[in-house]
Parts: sequence; C-alpha cells; structure tokens
Amino acid sequence: MENVLSILFCLTLLYIVVTSRLKTYVSILRTQGILLSAIMVFPFINHLSVHILIIPITSFIVKAVIIPRFINKIVIDLDVKRIVEPSIQPFNFLLLTVASMSVMFVSAHVLSGFTPIEPIPFASAFSAIIVGIYIIIFRKKLIVHVVGFMILENGIFLFGTSVAGEMPTIVELGAMLDVFVVVFLMGITINKIRSTFTQQDVSVLGRLKD
Amino acid sequence: MTELIILLGLPLIGIGANYLLRSRKAQFGISLLIAGLHLGVSFLIFSGVVHPADNEFIRFDALSRLFLLILSHVYFWVVLVSYSYLNRPTLVNEESGKRLYFMMLNLFLFANTMALISNHLGLFWVASETTTLSVAPLIYYYADEESLEAMWKYLFLVSVGIAFAFIGLLFLTLSASGTAIAGQQLLISTYTRYSVLLNPIWLKASFIFVLVGLSTKIGIAPMHPGDIDATSNAPSPIAALMSGSLRGTALIGVLRIYQIMVPTATAEFARTIMVIGGMFSLFVAFVFMFKVVNYKRMIAYSSVEHLGLITLGIGTGGIAFVGAMLHTVFNSLTKMVLFFNAGNIHRSYRSREVSSVWNVLNAMPWTGWLFLAGFFAIIAMPPFGIFFSELMIFQGLMSRPWLLAGVMFLLFFIFVGMSKTVFRMLYAAPPSDAVQAEIPAEKFDIMHFASIVLLAALVALGVGMPAQLYATVVQISKDFGIVL
Amino acid sequence: MDIFLNIQGLFPFLFILGISPLLVGLINKQKALLTGRIGAPLWQPYFDLLRLTRKETIYAVTASFVSRLAPVVAFAAVLISSLMLPIGYVKPILSFNGDIIVFAYLLGLARFFQILGAMDIGSSFEGMGAAREATFAVFAEPIYFFTLGSLAFISGHTSIYDIYHSIRLDNPTSLVFIIVSSISAFFLMMTECSRMPIDDPNTHLELTMIHEVMILDNSGIDLFLYQYSSFIKIMIYAIYEASFFNPFSMQNPWLGFSVFIVMLLLLTALIAWVETMIARFKMKSIPQYLLFATAIGILNLLIYTFVRQ
Repeated sequence: MENVLSILFCLTLLYIVVTSRLKTYVSILRTQGILLSAIMVFPFINHLSVHILIIPITSFIVKAVIIPRFINKIVIDLDVKRIVEPSIQPFNFLLLTVASMSVMFVSAHVLSGFTPIEPIPFASAFSAIIVGIYIIIFRKKLIVHVVGFMILENGIFLFGTSVAGEMPTIVELGAMLDVFVVVFLMGITINKIRSTFTQQDVSVLGRLKD
Repeated sequence: MTELIILLGLPLIGIGANYLLRSRKAQFGISLLIAGLHLGVSFLIFSGVVHPADNEFIRFDALSRLFLLILSHVYFWVVLVSYSYLNRPTLVNEESGKRLYFMMLNLFLFANTMALISNHLGLFWVASETTTLSVAPLIYYYADEESLEAMWKYLFLVSVGIAFAFIGLLFLTLSASGTAIAGQQLLISTYTRYSVLLNPIWLKASFIFVLVGLSTKIGIAPMHPGDIDATSNAPSPIAALMSGSLRGTALIGVLRIYQIMVPTATAEFARTIMVIGGMFSLFVAFVFMFKVVNYKRMIAYSSVEHLGLITLGIGTGGIAFVGAMLHTVFNSLTKMVLFFNAGNIHRSYRSREVSSVWNVLNAMPWTGWLFLAGFFAIIAMPPFGIFFSELMIFQGLMSRPWLLAGVMFLLFFIFVGMSKTVFRMLYAAPPSDAVQAEIPAEKFDIMHFASIVLLAALVALGVGMPAQLYATVVQISKDFGIVL
Repeated sequence: MDIFLNIQGLFPFLFILGISPLLVGLINKQKALLTGRIGAPLWQPYFDLLRLTRKETIYAVTASFVSRLAPVVAFAAVLISSLMLPIGYVKPILSFNGDIIVFAYLLGLARFFQILGAMDIGSSFEGMGAAREATFAVFAEPIYFFTLGSLAFISGHTSIYDIYHSIRLDNPTSLVFIIVSSISAFFLMMTECSRMPIDDPNTHLELTMIHEVMILDNSGIDLFLYQYSSFIKIMIYAIYEASFFNPFSMQNPWLGFSVFIVMLLLLTALIAWVETMIARFKMKSIPQYLLFATAIGILNLLIYTFVRQ
C-alpha cells in the first residue's frame, strides 16, 4: 500500500512539472500532504493508538491544511499573477524530470540489491527532492520557490518514513515545526519584498554581489 | 540538572520575558544576566569543575565543552555591546528590528546550546534549523532592500542546505541497516561505538550530504554565498555572532559525522573531501579578496578563508587537527573585534563601501587602531593566537608539501588583497572633490572596551596557552583517533 | 485456422459497427445536458451518416487518385483493427501473438492515409491540419505503447485479448497500476479521437482545428467513411479504456458484459464532463500534456521493470 501511495505521489510530481498555474501548485502540495499522512498511518493500521497518530495528524494539519492555506493567502493578498513564469520550456522540463526519475528508479533498483530499502518509496522520495530543486532553479517567482522547497521537504519526509529507523516523537514534531516556521518566515519575507520592491521574482534579488 | 536548567531553561525563560517586557533596558538586563550565567556554567563545565550527567539526548564530551564555551563567550560579548548598539542614532527604519532583537538572541542561545550538546543527530538537526530561524529576523534588522535580500537568501539557501543534511542523517540510518544497531536511535555515542559495522557506501553518502548541506551555514565554498550576504548585511553584533559561533555550531555537525567515520576505512575519504573543501574555500576567498568593494563582505570572506583553514586542518589530521580546534577559538575572538569595529566605521561613515571610507585612523582613532590590530590578528601576526594555530596547521601539512605551498600562496595573496583594502580605509586621504560627511568626534565606548579585552585575551591565549584549553583540545583529538 | 472459425468472434465486430454512432450520440447528449441545452437526439449520428450516403461526392480539381483511395483505406484499416478487440468474454476474430503492434500500426495506417488525402487536395488549410495531426501523432503513439506495452510486459502476453484477461484487480498494487495506466489511456483517447482538451470537434474555426480541418473538402460517401471511421475509433479507444476495469468476464460472461456496458456509459459521462469543464489546451502546450501522459506510462514501466516485488 505504501507503494501505491508512493506511485500516486510520483504522479503529483509529474503533474506539477506540466502545469503552470499557481493554484494547481498549491492543490498539489495539499494532495502530497494527504498522501504523506496516509503513508505514515498505513503501517500501523492494525494497531492504532493515540500515540502513533500524533505525528500523522500533525503532519496532516501542517502539510495538508496550514501551509497550503498560508501560501494561498499570500497569493491572494499579494495579488501574484497566477502563472508560474517558467524559465525553461515545460516540455524540456518534463523530459528532464522523466530522465531524472528514470535514473532514480534504476539506482533504487541497484541499491535495493545490497540494502534493505523499499525501492518505490525511495525512488519517489528522491524524485520529489530532485523535482523540488528543479522547481527552485527553473521558476522565477519567489512564492513558487517556497512550493519547490516544500516539495523537497515532502520528498525527504517520504524518504524518512521509508527508512526503518524511527525518530523520537519530540524530534519529529520539532522538525515539522521548523519546516512550518521556515515557510512562515519565507511568507513574511515575500510580503516584505512585495512592499519593498515592485515585483516578487528573483530579478529583484540582484543587489548583493561582488 | 541545575546546569541544564541554566543552559537551556534560562534562555527559554528569556524568550518569554523579552516577549513580555517592552523596556529595552529590562530586556538587556535579563539577557545579560542569562548570558553571564550561561558563560559561567559553560566555563565551569569546560574547566571540569562541574560534570553534568550525560543521558540519551545530551552529552558533554570534550568537543561539546569547547564549542559550548566558544558560544557562551561570543554570546556574552555580543549581548554586552548590544545595548549601546541599539541606542545609537538610528540609521534607517530599524525600530521594528529592535523589538525582536533580544528575544531572537535568546532563541539563538537556546537553539545553539541544544545543537552543541545534543547526542541525538535528529535533535541536532532540529536545533540547527532553529538557529537559522532565530538569526533570519536579526539579519533583517536594518529593514532595507539589501538586508531583505540577504535574509531571503540566507533563509532559503540554509533551509535547503539543512534539508540536504537531513538526507545525510537518513543515509546514516540506512548505513546501520542489517547491523546490531539497526532501528536504533541516531545517537552519536551509539554510532561512534559501532561505527565499524556501518555500511561504508551509505556512510560516505551521508558525510557528503551533511557536509554539503551544512556548508551553507559553515560557509565552506562553493556553498558560501548566502552566508556572505547575511553576515555582511546583518548588524555588527549579529555578524560577530554568526562568524564567531554559528558557523562553529554547523561545523560540529560535520565533525560528528566525521567522528563516526574515524574508526572505519571511510575516514580517508572524509578527510580528502574536507581538504578539497578547505582548499576551495581558500581559493574563493583569494579570488574575492581582490574584488570586494564592501568592507563587511571582506570580513565575511575572511570568515570563509578561516573556516576553510579549519576544515583543511581537520582534514589533514594529526597536529593540524589540534591547530584547527584552537583556530576555531581564536577565529571567534578575532572576528568579534573586526565586526565590532567595522560596525563603528559603518555607523560613522554611513556606508559599507570601501571607496567612501577614508582616513579612519585620524577621524576615529580608537576604532581605527583597534581595527588595525584586529586586522593584524586575523592575518596571523605573531603575538596573536591565530599565528600559533595556523602554525600548527602548517606543521601538520608538512607531509604534503605541495598542499602547503598552495595554502601559503593563497594566504599570502589574501593578506595582500586584504591589506590593500584595510590600509586604504585607514590611511587614505579624502579625495579633493569628496563631500566629507562630518565624522563626530569619537568617544571610548563599550565596543572599544570589548575589543581591547578580546585582543588581550587573544594574545594571552596565544602566548601562554592555558593547560585546560590544551588538555581539552588534546582530548578532542583523542576522541577523533589522533595520536599526538 | 480456428480463429476464423470463431463465429462468436463476429459479435464484437458487429457490436462496434452498430453501437459506435450511438456512443457519440450519448456523449453529445450528455454534453448538451451539462451545458443546459436539450441537444440533438441520441440517434443523430445515425441520421448524419445516412444523410451523407445520399449526398453527391465532389472532388477538388487538384485532387489525384490518392484522395479517392484515402477514405477507403482509412476506413478499412480502422475496421480491421476493430476486429482485434475483445468485448466482455468474447474472443475476437483476429487474435494472435503480437497483435498489439498490428493494432497500433493499422490505426497508424488509417491516420497516414487521412493525412495523405488531406495533403492531396492541395489546400493550405488541409495542409495545416495534416501537419498538426502528424505532430501530435508523434507524441500520442508512445502513450499507447507505454500503457498497453507495459501491461504486455508485465503479463507476458502480446495479444490484446490475453493481456486484458490477465488483469487482476484484487491486488492493490496492480489496481493502482491499472488506474495510472487508464489515466494515460484516457489522454490517448482524447488525442486520437480529437476530443476536447486536445482538439475541438465542434468548432469550425480553421485555426484551432486538427481533425476537422483535414476533412473540410470531403463530401458524400468519402465524408461518410471518414465520419464513420472516427466514430469507430472512439468506440475502439473506449473499449481499450473500459476493458482495463473488466476482469469479471472470466468467471461470468454476463456479469462481464454488463460491467463492460456500465464502464462504457461511465466513460461517455466522463468524456462529456471533461469536455464541458476543461477548455481546449493551447496548441503550444499540447505536446507537454501528451508527454505527461507518456511519462506516466514510463513511470509504470520503470516501476515494474526495476522494482517488481
């Protein structure tokens, strides 16, 4: 079942590469949050307890509810144009993504030969990490960079759940809080950038260099 | 237990108190009290008077003790000068920054302490991400376009970097699969004990990811740009805090992974990577030292240079490792002097551009001479401590003459580039057509006092090394499997 | 040659021939209802076809024999490919190992002749339509091979009938695989049948059309053949899509057949819904959506090549 959800996770990645609407980006983030929480719950489906459910529920609240809402709010407040403004042809971007994904799946296959990893979640997670980085590189809007960062984080999260060792609850909660605050701070910064500069894409960030 | 309450609990209380209190004087008083107590406790722990009990999450080994003392010390001086810094005539619209200032400093102290003494790598990760969060609003102190850009870049680059470090930690978990410690917590003590069992491929991958990720915070090239922008645009005490202690906190993460790798066959790999990273940082500092037009950026690049030297020393091993550990101490002291005085210059000349600063020695004698002394300290002139630690690093590099020659070459030209800029600022006569802003006559203030004390400490520590410091450094070397 | 002796196999063929205009009528009716119109009667496509048979066939003065040949060849190719599809439990007339390739290239042949016929007329409009059709065909063909091809790869069969009968829905992993495949198969259907997000079957603004513009100068029996073959194509792809979810025919033929009919009805509803809700893609961004569908297929193949349990 984790495999199934991971495959769906991969599909969201492919779709985010194709689409060019900010709204879709946010709803994909939401979908990924739901998928991740489901992946976390699934191994314990037979012996649920409050203690086990703390992390999935928090991650659901943070990743599927609060952060997408927050990003939506920024988009509406700042009246960001609803197109993501790619700096690369979507077609080439998709080709690049498919190629990277293939590399990930092949390496997951190779790696699973000598390490007990779950190949599908592993490859999906690393695809997400790569897609997140690509989005940060190939998109101009700062708010889209935040989405890219969140996708990267989701990938890491998925990887974390697929690796056997579990972190203590306090650490996981701390990590979740950190990610949330980072996104929150980024949102505030974008707000400030909006009030300081006229645009909100990377072109305004060119003052500091040697 | 008392120690933990003072080290971790007091900063937490400080956050709350600073949130509630509106008077800046009260905020300063509380923060200084906390800083003083923190410094006292970490000094007691460092000198071995107090032995806090280790538990699953917290450990005070020699490395933590040394870095904790560096943190407390830098933090204490920064808090001490902060009050007068905040009360200075306002440059721009920094009022909003002042409100958060002490609260964020307390958060910084809490997160950094947590990162330094944590025995659980996950906890370390959370804490070091929190340090980024605490520092980001402080970078935005001046609330102008540059600081906004610097804050965004720092926040974003470091967050992505830290995310990479987390991947590295997960790889570390993977390296344990199939061994006796599979499925156990990511405790440094456990992993160090059973490191020979770990899978070398995952261990190497882990090291690379952690090093690359934390490099954004440490400032090792090529991941340094966010750090440079942040340090050069933050207010001077914060810049001193970042250069003096935050970089060290990130470095400790890399050191922990390296410590796990030491007994295994992969140690050589880690050392090679660190030597490459160190050399590349020196090279980047060398290139940019000739290009800089902004003196705070120059000091920031000097941080890249020195962190590069430290990484190089750690990678070289042997006596160079000892040198590198001492270098972290001396570097933190020197960077404070430089940033404090650069802050003074910035305030009087209202510019960070080298070209609009001249004749500092006459206009601001205290600042000018102290800046000059700090400059001599950072380029490793003999009476200052950095000379001795660099000498130890070079001694360790003796076995690789080509590398040593390269390092010497780069350091020499960094010296040339830096001195060109510094002497121009200090001595150059104002150009005839310059519209000289009136520089107010300078009074001796707390920043000068701090600089003098720090320079004196630097000389004292260099000339007569305290036995306790040396013993701690030797203990760290022993923990890292170095036989002296 | 017992495949030719299979009288039952005639049933799918007749079913496809007879029902395909009704399927189009259903789609149109539902679209009309969704947009708040009453719409043409369900039987309208039959009437249209009947009308066309009674019309005179006119050829452009520049047209050569290719124009006369093209509709016939296209229709014949589509007819033959429809012989290979199973409906419910019934084994089709033509079923042999490797028929997935033949199936694809028969449809390719039909398209090829259609393009040729369009270019033969010598009008710049038809030329443009032909160019677009050819371009998008390049992106559409991989979708077919990655979806059905990866299914073939997994099941180890190379005949459409065998592949569909090897599908099992009880295992969640293969279920998700089927769902994922059907998403890209849906894209394929929309492309191949010139439906809404890719092409607009209703518009007669030449700049936006793909399929319709190619048959602009055809009339009478030629147009009848083209229209009929496009109806059959929709039917073929609908079956192709609906059969993914129809593993029941092995146990119970009647259950299988009724599930199949329900799936077809659902599919028409889905097509109508999509065509109502989604605006046509920009011509420029069609390739990336087609590549997206291909990517899904590649993903499937990757998963089952490298990480099969």
